[in-house]
Amino acid sequence: MLRALLVALAVSPAALAGALQADQSSGRLEFSATQADAKFNGAFKRFRVALEFDPAHPDQGRLDVTVDVASIDTQDPERDEILRGPDFFWAEKYPQAVYHAGRFERAGAGWRAPGELTIRGVKKPVPVTFTIAPAAATGPATMKGSAGLGRLAFGLGQGEWASTEWIGDAVEVRFELKLQPAG
Amino acid sequence: MPARNSPLRYGSVAQFLHWSVVLLLAAQVTLGKVADGLPLGLERLVMMSRHKSLGITILGIAVLRLAWRAFDAPPALPPMPRWQSLAARFTHWGLYALLFALPLSGWLMSSSANRPVSWWGLLQLPDFVAPDAGLKEVFEEVHELLVNVLFAFVALHVAAALKHQFLDRDGLLLRMLPGRQP
Repeated sequence: MLRALLVALAVSPAALAGALQADQSSGRLEFSATQADAKFNGAFKRFRVALEFDPAHPDQGRLDVTVDVASIDTQDPERDEILRGPDFFWAEKYPQAVYHAGRFERAGAGWRAPGELTIRGVKKPVPVTFTIAPAAATGPATMKGSAGLGRLAFGLGQGEWASTEWIGDAVEVRFELKLQPAG
Repeated sequence: MPARNSPLRYGSVAQFLHWSVVLLLAAQVTLGKVADGLPLGLERLVMMSRHKSLGITILGIAVLRLAWRAFDAPPALPPMPRWQSLAARFTHWGLYALLFALPLSGWLMSSSANRPVSWWGLLQLPDFVAPDAGLKEVFEEVHELLVNVLFAFVALHVAAALKHQFLDRDGLLLRMLPGRQP
């Protein structure tokens, strides 16, 4: 009993010590949105991810994502210009979107991070579901996940763009990352 | 007026398809020009979206027209010099080709710009090309060039029909109009 406790105390901080990292060179951060009733895909080309995750201690750890919103790329320069502008991300004033989760929960065969997303200075709860392999991730690991959010809750689409008749509110975010130990 | 063509005139189905295309094409060209002149914004997005839906509608009617034409042979041309009947065939088939090439080039242009096409919000069309800025420029040029080719063919078609009706007085125009027999 005592020995088990000591092992737990010894293992738990050790498991959390090594954060795993990824960025645009080792992963993809993509999204789908709807314009004029047609779904299209886009991506962010600059972002950083840090993960501290121990499946034995899901109530501890963290998932931190920082996205350079000006790196948005929908393969349409006109649309990208509008998205970077003040009616959407307002990249000049709010250059980064930030995600933070401080714990994890089991979700079916994978995991759920009940974290918060900040865009344009607006912070809202956005749960992220993901799978990670190998699960006891202290070394390289592959993480795949998704999240759904409503763009208007973050003020993405001001003025005429707030209409959901031509620009859907729902945005689906997907990511796939090859995480590596930090340092 | 019978639904099917007679040896002397077009039936109601062929006439309805022909004049629908005339009206929709006039609306479509206007919509495209107006939308193209708008600054980036929601209004442009809405107009372009309607332009795409209407274009796909015209493409559908073009398919129906060809199918009907295959099923129901059009009346023979009135007696005319050989060069005129050749020119008439060339113009007719050119117009049919444009009814396909214009919407298809617009569709490809949309796909290559990563702005997929929805048909009136009911159906999202598949993309036959991946997003590609260089390709988008090409399809855009082709689409705009084809509009000018369309103007030339329509001008030729209308001029020939009017010449037959009012100079040759062979009643050709009446074959495509409801009402009295020529």
